[in-house]
Amino acid sequence: MAKNSTALKLEDLASATPAKRAAFGGGPPPPPPVRPIAPIGSNAWLAMIMFLGAEAMFFAGLMGAFLVFRVGSPVWPPPFQPRLPATVTGVNTLILLLSAVTMRLAFLANGRGERKRLVKLLSWTAILGAVFLLIQGFEWVRLLHFGLTVSSSVYGGLFYTLIGFHGAHVLGALAWLIAVWSKARQGKYTGRNAVGLQTCSMYWIFVVALWPVLYGLVYLY
Amino acid sequence: MPGKFYSISITAAALLVQAAQVWACAVCLGDASDSAIDGYNASVLFLMSTPYLVVGSIVAGLIFTYRRARKRHEEMDAEMIGQLEWNLRRRAVDE
Repeated sequence: MAKNSTALKLEDLASATPAKRAAFGGGPPPPPPVRPIAPIGSNAWLAMIMFLGAEAMFFAGLMGAFLVFRVGSPVWPPPFQPRLPATVTGVNTLILLLSAVTMRLAFLANGRGERKRLVKLLSWTAILGAVFLLIQGFEWVRLLHFGLTVSSSVYGGLFYTLIGFHGAHVLGALAWLIAVWSKARQGKYTGRNAVGLQTCSMYWIFVVALWPVLYGLVYLY
Repeated sequence: MPGKFYSISITAAALLVQAAQVWACAVCLGDASDSAIDGYNASVLFLMSTPYLVVGSIVAGLIFTYRRARKRHEEMDAEMIGQLEWNLRRRAVDE
């Protein structure tokens, strides 16, 4: 009898007869299950989305300026100007893309509560980001030796502005990443409480995703 | 008062004399076959499409996150109801 009664749906329990209620152990029906109400994302997460939208528009403005001169010039790069190192930078692009993978894996590792793996993957992300910046810096020094400076031509001015601003963003992201790494080492991020890690991860992936667009536009187009 | 008037007039006259010749329209480049016009057109089209791309990406991201959260909540509901049913069955069997 009791076994058959359990086939009742919870919704039916409120309107069930006293006999049926008794089969459930008597007393009033249990309260309906309460689901914890939580927003789909934190305020910081939403703020970061807005910030990244503004950043995207900022870089779009720079790319628009580049397009004016690039499409408007019959010969590009202009005569007597050094060619950009597309192959080395292509390899560098792969390094930066790999850092986005390690960053994402780090974020997922935190969700699973794997602290050691989180710290390790954050370290790899920082190392790959630093390698990217070092290679970029090395190539810039070479280009300066070849005579490509900010004031040498519109070509140089556009190159250093566009790529320089991206480099500055990577540098800023790297500094933030090191701070996040330090906090992760101290165990300050748990599965649910990781807003700093989440926003840093978003920023890093934005900076990485922007680079192939800039590389294609400035180095290959 | 007249001194102020004279000084403003002289400054205005000096500025007018010093002013360089400028185009009435900053983007009127003259010749229609000028390749710079192609550059401006490409840039205008790119910048026109960018806000749609950015806002579209944000909206798509928010919809994706909302759907994922709703699915997770439904799973949590199902889990809680299952747990409650199990408790009720155990009570019924115990009694």
